[in-house]
Amino acid sequence: MLHRELELAWGSPAGLRGMLTVVNHGTLGLRFMVTGLVFFLLGGVLAMLVRTQLAFPDQDFMSPDVYSQVTTMHGTVMMFLFAIPVLEGLAIYLIPKMIGTRDLACPRLTAFGYWCYLFGGIILFSSLLLDMAPDSGWFMYTPLSSGEYSPGSGSDFWLLGITFVEISALSAGVELTVSILRTRASGMALHRMPLFAWYILAMALMIVVGFPPLILGSVLLELERAVGMPFFAVAGGGDPVLWQHLFWLFGHPEVYIIFLPAAGIVSTLIPVFAGRPMVGYGWIVASILITGFISFGLWVHHMFTVGIPQLAQAFFSAASMLVAVPTAIQVFVWLTTLWLGRPRMTLPMLWVLGFLVIFVCGGLTGVMLALVPFNWQVHDTHFVVAHMHYVLVGGMFFPLMAGLYYWLPLVTGRMPSESLGRLGFWLTFSGFNLTFLIMHWTGLLGMPRRIASYESAMGWDIYNLISSVGGFMMSAGIAVVLLDLALHGRFGRLAPRNPWCADTLEWAVATPPTSYTFASLPQVTSRHPLWEFPQLGESIRLGEHERAGAPHGRRELLGTDPLTGRVREIIHLPGNSVWPLAAALVLAVVCISLLVRLYPLALVAFVVAACMLLRWSWENGAHASATPLGDNEPSDPALHSRTPDGPGRWTMGVALLADGAFFLSLLFGWCYLWTVSPQWRMPDVSPLSLPMMIASGLALTLAASWLGRRCRAIVAGREEGLARAFAGIAALGGVHLLLLLTLAVQAALAPTDSAHDAVLWVGLAYLLVHATLATVLMLLQARRAALGLVSARLPFEPGVVLLFWRYHTGAYWILVAAIGVLPRVLGANA
Amino acid sequence: MLSGFGLVFVAVVVAWLAAFRPRAHVERSPAEERRFSLRWILGGGIVLPGVSILALLVFGVPTGQRMLPVTLPGETPPQVIEVVGHQWWWEIRYPGEQGDVVTANHLVMPAGEPVEFHVTSADVIHAFWVPRLGGKIDMLPGRTNRIRLEADEPGVFGAQCAEFCGVQHTHMHLHVEALPREEYEVWLDARRSPLPEDEAHAQARQDFIQHCAGCHRVAGLSDGERGPDLSDIGSRATLGAGVMAMEEGAIARWLATHQSLKPGNRMPSHDDLEDETLERLGAWLENLTP
Repeated sequence: MLHRELELAWGSPAGLRGMLTVVNHGTLGLRFMVTGLVFFLLGGVLAMLVRTQLAFPDQDFMSPDVYSQVTTMHGTVMMFLFAIPVLEGLAIYLIPKMIGTRDLACPRLTAFGYWCYLFGGIILFSSLLLDMAPDSGWFMYTPLSSGEYSPGSGSDFWLLGITFVEISALSAGVELTVSILRTRASGMALHRMPLFAWYILAMALMIVVGFPPLILGSVLLELERAVGMPFFAVAGGGDPVLWQHLFWLFGHPEVYIIFLPAAGIVSTLIPVFAGRPMVGYGWIVASILITGFISFGLWVHHMFTVGIPQLAQAFFSAASMLVAVPTAIQVFVWLTTLWLGRPRMTLPMLWVLGFLVIFVCGGLTGVMLALVPFNWQVHDTHFVVAHMHYVLVGGMFFPLMAGLYYWLPLVTGRMPSESLGRLGFWLTFSGFNLTFLIMHWTGLLGMPRRIASYESAMGWDIYNLISSVGGFMMSAGIAVVLLDLALHGRFGRLAPRNPWCADTLEWAVATPPTSYTFASLPQVTSRHPLWEFPQLGESIRLGEHERAGAPHGRRELLGTDPLTGRVREIIHLPGNSVWPLAAALVLAVVCISLLVRLYPLALVAFVVAACMLLRWSWENGAHASATPLGDNEPSDPALHSRTPDGPGRWTMGVALLADGAFFLSLLFGWCYLWTVSPQWRMPDVSPLSLPMMIASGLALTLAASWLGRRCRAIVAGREEGLARAFAGIAALGGVHLLLLLTLAVQAALAPTDSAHDAVLWVGLAYLLVHATLATVLMLLQARRAALGLVSARLPFEPGVVLLFWRYHTGAYWILVAAIGVLPRVLGANA
Repeated sequence: MLSGFGLVFVAVVVAWLAAFRPRAHVERSPAEERRFSLRWILGGGIVLPGVSILALLVFGVPTGQRMLPVTLPGETPPQVIEVVGHQWWWEIRYPGEQGDVVTANHLVMPAGEPVEFHVTSADVIHAFWVPRLGGKIDMLPGRTNRIRLEADEPGVFGAQCAEFCGVQHTHMHLHVEALPREEYEVWLDARRSPLPEDEAHAQARQDFIQHCAGCHRVAGLSDGERGPDLSDIGSRATLGAGVMAMEEGAIARWLATHQSLKPGNRMPSHDDLEDETLERLGAWLENLTP
């Protein structure tokens, strides 16, 4: 009865319709992981092509042109289409279960993220089949990737495809952050949160802050390629080094974005297999936070050979070494935990052991690379290739496999084969070390990266041959693991409930998990709920805890306080929806029409996609297809759309954090080009009219403060004239938009002639997009107020929109100060 | 440094294997456990990396200082050689009061003294790196980077572009030769004096002016700048930035087949020229040895 009710509320319709509209985190998390593994295999095939080419000297198995495409795509696929999505998928799958809730806070965003990833990945990979794959390296340094030196579509595939995939990463980052902060089980205060959730929280926040610089970089480079705005071209006043800054501003945090969740897997497994709590919970949490923080101060260490000022080099060199400290702390906390416990050497632990050996080695070579003179010597040699694979394969792939074997019984309800599993591990482990240990030496002998062939006279033959043999051995290992995975579904023995005697809540759900995850929502009183109450799973299934069943037909979970885990409201989630798929499909049309340079079509499709996203947001709150007002609604705790501070506000807040990171990167680009670019030209008089900027800003500020007053009034229970007031605010927003547009037209910028005008153009475009969105959102609010979907009883939505307005107001004035006032104060030659 | 790091690595791995080893469980009181774990976390997590980093800095900072292009007061400023990266060859310039001496793909430097290299690029980003002489530095369009290198003894060193720069990144070698100071001066002076008119190759010079001069410079004959300077090509060790060794007939062979030897290089294919013309050109160019 209980379960039928829940299945009715949470389940998906059978057949294709259900598959396309599903928003459940379990289904989508698995899809993320399976898709990621498929891309991993494709990337692996590319790696084997490379090893075949380099196995012997003077080979022409691939032409240099094809070789460049293959190496570029290997790096790109492994980083963007495998490592990040697969870990996101794991987090999406596990986090709700671990923190004791039924789904992620923004289920439609999960689906949207998946579709963006799938379509972006397909578009990017298809370039290889069309023989026009990107070939400028996975880091796409300009000017090599620019229109002049890469005239084909390769770079466009990279820039557009990756941006598309990054939308997916950002979606996951935003919703994981909000879910972890606001939907944990009742009583799960921050200090009782499983360590894995801490790691994922850090990863999610780092995605939110770390990805926007690359999105900005990609947008700018695509604008340069498509219409000739010279952001990175020296002759136009740009600077190719700006690309490197934007790329590594993303690129270094990204290493930790990959490493942290993997370390989270290790931190979850070690206490379980040591049979005791982690000895230094606080040490680990501090290490995670410090790692996340320092990782944003490391990016320049990829650019030591660019000719950066000495002082900056010293700073970044020291920071790069310092990051070893939190990592070392984690390693020794794990060690001590094992030492004090009763370790069990199971299959997942074998992979953890492999991780430790490889990762420690990679970490040590990393510290060596942080030393500037050594870096100068081995930068861009095979030594770096070896280091990078030790860190990434050791730090990400091995823990991922450990996690895969650990959670497999949860997903399928069956145990993998011990003997096949061990064979797979040893093949992979020895193959890996054979390939990459020797490659350190090849690098020290001077073999540069990315060369398509080498002469026998260089003396690198035997080392390369060994590396190639090792590479194929590793492939064989992975094939064995896949075989094990394929067979276990049929021949594996049935897994008992909680087969590893774990402590965290994901093992309290049914195996395989149901669509609603928990039949009733448990209260948490310690860090190790299942060690404290081994029978918790049973009582959850019997509905003995909170919010058992779903007689109302709503998808409900508990909204809790971010710090204490006290219950604040009941969150009602939207059901299956076709909008995420539709919006992602139209965005794919945008992407493809940009690729084939059909700009009008791209613009139309972009507007259509925006309308779809707005249509999606329409089905919220008290809308008939969401949760219409009823008579016997729960009041303590209340439904979230009946409160002023539901998770939607947090989602908006975190999304604006990403927006802010994008904005700051733009400001960085402006300041950087202004001060550093070798041929920067700036007009003596700013082309932007100051009175116009101030007038437009005043209209905006007035509207935002009016909205702020109105929001306070709604919370206080006053709702008269709401629709008219909202319409008035929207009208003021329209005035702001019009003035801004006039300003932009009057400025008569020549963005294709100078980097200065190009940056102004992008800045104004950024403001125009935000002004339009703010105005449209306000118009929709006015309409919703008129329909009775926003009122004193439903105070939720205006607060969300207010956040956006406040952000836009802040960004507006900062940008006015930076591009309108500062040049006037400092003069053009400052 | 390698052995130090090797030691740390082995120690950590041994500690791990010991921790994994099945063994009799020792009961400890919570207070003992706390002391034990604190000792290990502080020791391994803070002291160990702290000491390693310190050791690295003590070793590394002085090494780094020596490579800085800073002339201390009282020191004579070092010899300056300019290197410009092109897709996919090297332009080498020796600045001088009567104009620069220009060569390509073959760098000659004085041995036994620091030499300051001023590097830049004409197109995409390249990197200048002579592995046996030390560090590398990026060559960026629009900027000039400096690096100071010293060859202790005369000798020949290989060099290679170290920043991925396009399809022929593989074939962007540079032949570096360090000569004793006096020999270096002789070498440089030879390139300052104009080449003698050579009647035997008058026809080849005509061909050159007709077909090649737009892109290539030969001192006293043409001023093309798109391709490598050929004024002393006969004296260089390799052709095509390391694609083939310079020997008799090599230039004609290169001219006939360079697009298959180095696909994608910027020189147009010379299918339209008679083999005879190519051979004539090759024979003359091989003779250009100041």
